[in-house]
Amino acid sequence: MAPDEFDVGATELLETYDFLMKYIIIGEAGTGKSCLLHQFTHNAFKDHSQHTIGVEFSSRTVKLGEKRIKLQLWDTAGQERFRSVTRSYYRGAAGVILVYDITNRDSFLNMSRWLTDARALASPHLVAVLVGNKSDREEDREVEWAEASRWAAENDVHFLEASSLSGDNVEAPFLLAARSILLSIESGALDPEKAGSGVSYGDRALRRVTSSSHLSFGSLSGARKRRSGGFRLKNWVPSGKCC
Amino acid sequence: MSTQSPSPGPVSVQVQTRNPISLRLRKILGTNFTDQATTEALRTLSHLYGTNHPSDQPSPVTNSDTESDSESETLVDLTVDFSSETASRARKNLRRDLENTLAEGSRQFLQAFSEVDQKLDAIQAHVSAMRACCDDADAQLRLTAESSKSLLDRAGSLRQEREVVETRKSIVMLFLDRFTVTDEEAEAMTSRDVPVGKRFFSAMSKTERIRADCRVLMSGEDGPTKAGLDIMASTSSYLEQGYEKIYRYCSFEFRQMGRDVHLEVSPIMREAIRRLRQRPELLSEALTLLTTTRQTSLLSAFLAALTRGSGGGGRPIELHAHDPIRYVGDMLAWVHQAIAAECEFLEGLFGLGEGSADGDNGEGEFGVDGDEVRERQRRRMVGSVRTFGAGEEWVGELLNGAVEKLCVPLKVRVQQTVRSQESSIVSYKVANLLEYYTLTMRRTIGEGAVLCKTLDEITEVSYKVFFDAIEAQGRTLLRTSLDPDDPSVRPPLPILEHAQLLREIIQVYDSSLLRGDTNTAPAPANTAHTSPSAATPGPFTFKRILDALLDPALEMCLGAAEEKKRLRPRWDQAVFGVNCLTYLQSVLEPFNFTLDKQLEIQGVIDERVKLLTDEHYENILKDASLYDAIEACQTKNPSEPLARIPATQPAQLRSSLSKFSHWLSGLEVVHSPRLAQLTMYPATSIHQAALARLARAYGKLCEEVRRVGSGYEAGSTLLGSERPFGKIGLLFQIFGLEEDQGEDEDEEKVDEEEEDEEEEEEGDSEEEYEDDDEDDGKDQDGDDEGGEGDEDEDDGEEED
Repeated sequence: MAPDEFDVGATELLETYDFLMKYIIIGEAGTGKSCLLHQFTHNAFKDHSQHTIGVEFSSRTVKLGEKRIKLQLWDTAGQERFRSVTRSYYRGAAGVILVYDITNRDSFLNMSRWLTDARALASPHLVAVLVGNKSDREEDREVEWAEASRWAAENDVHFLEASSLSGDNVEAPFLLAARSILLSIESGALDPEKAGSGVSYGDRALRRVTSSSHLSFGSLSGARKRRSGGFRLKNWVPSGKCC
Repeated sequence: MSTQSPSPGPVSVQVQTRNPISLRLRKILGTNFTDQATTEALRTLSHLYGTNHPSDQPSPVTNSDTESDSESETLVDLTVDFSSETASRARKNLRRDLENTLAEGSRQFLQAFSEVDQKLDAIQAHVSAMRACCDDADAQLRLTAESSKSLLDRAGSLRQEREVVETRKSIVMLFLDRFTVTDEEAEAMTSRDVPVGKRFFSAMSKTERIRADCRVLMSGEDGPTKAGLDIMASTSSYLEQGYEKIYRYCSFEFRQMGRDVHLEVSPIMREAIRRLRQRPELLSEALTLLTTTRQTSLLSAFLAALTRGSGGGGRPIELHAHDPIRYVGDMLAWVHQAIAAECEFLEGLFGLGEGSADGDNGEGEFGVDGDEVRERQRRRMVGSVRTFGAGEEWVGELLNGAVEKLCVPLKVRVQQTVRSQESSIVSYKVANLLEYYTLTMRRTIGEGAVLCKTLDEITEVSYKVFFDAIEAQGRTLLRTSLDPDDPSVRPPLPILEHAQLLREIIQVYDSSLLRGDTNTAPAPANTAHTSPSAATPGPFTFKRILDALLDPALEMCLGAAEEKKRLRPRWDQAVFGVNCLTYLQSVLEPFNFTLDKQLEIQGVIDERVKLLTDEHYENILKDASLYDAIEACQTKNPSEPLARIPATQPAQLRSSLSKFSHWLSGLEVVHSPRLAQLTMYPATSIHQAALARLARAYGKLCEEVRRVGSGYEAGSTLLGSERPFGKIGLLFQIFGLEEDQGEDEDEEKVDEEEEDEEEEEEGDSEEEYEDDDEDDGKDQDGDDEGGEGDEDEDDGEEED
């Protein structure tokens, strides 16, 4: 009379997640935030993308080691006139993806302002990832990798370059941020139970918490070791996903 | 014997040559007996006889002889062994012996054959016996075969029968399997012990399939059968119990869903909902429960976020209540985010946004890989326009229900904030923000939602507050009277302050959240989607704002000026009016969307400028002392000679012309102190227009003086005595104007100008305005801005 064992397993695999994280994607207008996100959630380049009006929402569940993480993604308008609206959405974000355009120096120079804004308004443990978008347009490059990398190091944010046109490195920033957040949960710095952390437990994690008091992150460390090849994280992204 | 024959001598040999005997002998002698056959025959022969007399022929000689000469062995043998006696006996009895031997052999043969014959007879007997036996057996077999044939037939038919039965049995089994519910399945559907899950669902599916199949079968020619009806009856009860069970399950689960803001949907839940859609009454009952729980939990989460800062926010939202934009924005952003989460949950519940939940799950447990991908591609973002397709009406309704209770606290707070605003700029910003969120929400949860209605209301209220504020400001402005002691003709302080407010509001509108909406995304579906009843963003509202702000200002400029003029007659009201108007115009100028209002003001300005020009022209005429002469020239009776009119009597005229000539060398020709008071409107354009008119009037006067019958004795001399010597061209040169502006053109120009003004007042489109502009540019008259450039240069030179 017990429920089908397989059924329970499948349920867990398919639906539930361990953590829910809120991300915001910010940066100057026209740096390709919406396209980056579209590439991440739809695996396709968004043609003829208009300026975002206000804020748009999408979500995606990713797998990191054995953890399934649901990402709530808030794509914000970069235009100045929406600043007052978009700032309201920073509240309680666990991760921020700072996007600049490598072919537009101004969009990079403004990053400090964006980061300060985000740090002031979002979760106190905010994890930031700096993304130099449009890496496919190497010939028009105005911001050197090394320079952005240095800035990122000085400001304690992760950094990589991506292309929402080719899809190159698009998943990496999201996973990078998720991993950092998981690590800070593991280390106890971040408590998902606490309000405003931008992270909450999913059913799956809750179930585990009730069965054993300690969360295991064994698989996570493994994933970290594998990453030594550089910033190209694509390969350990769940393989089942297709284009 | 041959051994003996060679003994005779050669003579006898010669003799015997012809002798037959000798021939015979010779032949015999010549015969060679050493050939195989002969030897064999002879040996047989000797054997025959040897065996007859073995004892009397021991001959060692023969042996030695044999050894010595092998060739002649037989001969020697015969010669030596068989003495004449044996030989003769042999010669005599040879035939007999041979015949005897032959007979003996034959006899032996006969004997042997008779024996064989006997044996053959015996065999014959045996064979016959066997034959008989075989026949017997054969007969018996035939008999047996005949008798067993029926048996075999029977066995065969039995086997066939068995096959038929087997088939029937399997059909019946299949039928039963297909059309009946097993106990286990029945239990899964009805018992409370079996949880809702895979087993339960497969039982449900089967029951449903049975009913569908059964219905198909019963719709055949034979009509419903009893078995069919039975099946339908029994399955129906199971099915109903199954649905009841799903309903209980959902109700229970829904009651649990009040705790968290972010919810997950298990596939069991989703499947349960999918199935329950077959029983809408049960589903809606269950969903009512869900709505209630969600309402409560969202409301408490919202209040918590406002006051305690939980529910996804760090600091409490009310902490920023002093900053209205941020406060209202934060509240609405919270609601928007809550709706996004709720929407995801509900879409998950109804299996609409599957792609999002299954994100990266490519394992395809349920083999829906392709569908999943397609699903993901179809998935829309919350911010984008949504259309309520089939199945989404539930989601829309639930979403509406879930956020319903947020409306009241939201409304109260926003209204409070809006009403307490003193700055009209801030209340305009808040109204803008609210309008933006009204549009966003309308797209997110549909137009009819309670939240949207609430937002519409709040937006309306905030706009009303704003309009009240600016209208009050307008009224205040109207009440303001100008300081009669102030001689300045510049725009007064109240106007400057008002213009500043206007400028700020225009800037807010320019960077408004809504303008981008219509500008960057001019999707017709978008605008068609929004209800016309709502305060439509863009030109209409903004025109109202401009009217509310500008109309009192215009009225004040002109009305209050009238009043001041009355108190202080020497004060230059015309210049003041033009100054104020052009100043207000300059505030609007950089913004395209104020074009209508700009044109309206331009109309008033043109009117004012025309009056001013007329006034100025008269002033100049007076200053140049030509006023009386020209007045006389223009008003006189055509038949009356000019020289008779007192003002233009030759002496008078000469004096006037002399004064005019003096005036021409004065400063006023290039500079009008009065017009210098104009702050923004180009004074030279008015001045030059007046000068041109003066020149033409002078020309007319000269013409009249020169005319035969004008009464002057020497008109040309009279004119030629003083500058400009009756030459209009020269006068134009002095004025620094183009000479070719003839009178006709002038007339036309004035007409055109009037037409233009009319057009400008009527016209509201940009193109017409531009056209006018171009026309003016071509006419090189000094009255309009178009021809300004050239003249400015000339002026510069002269002024220097």
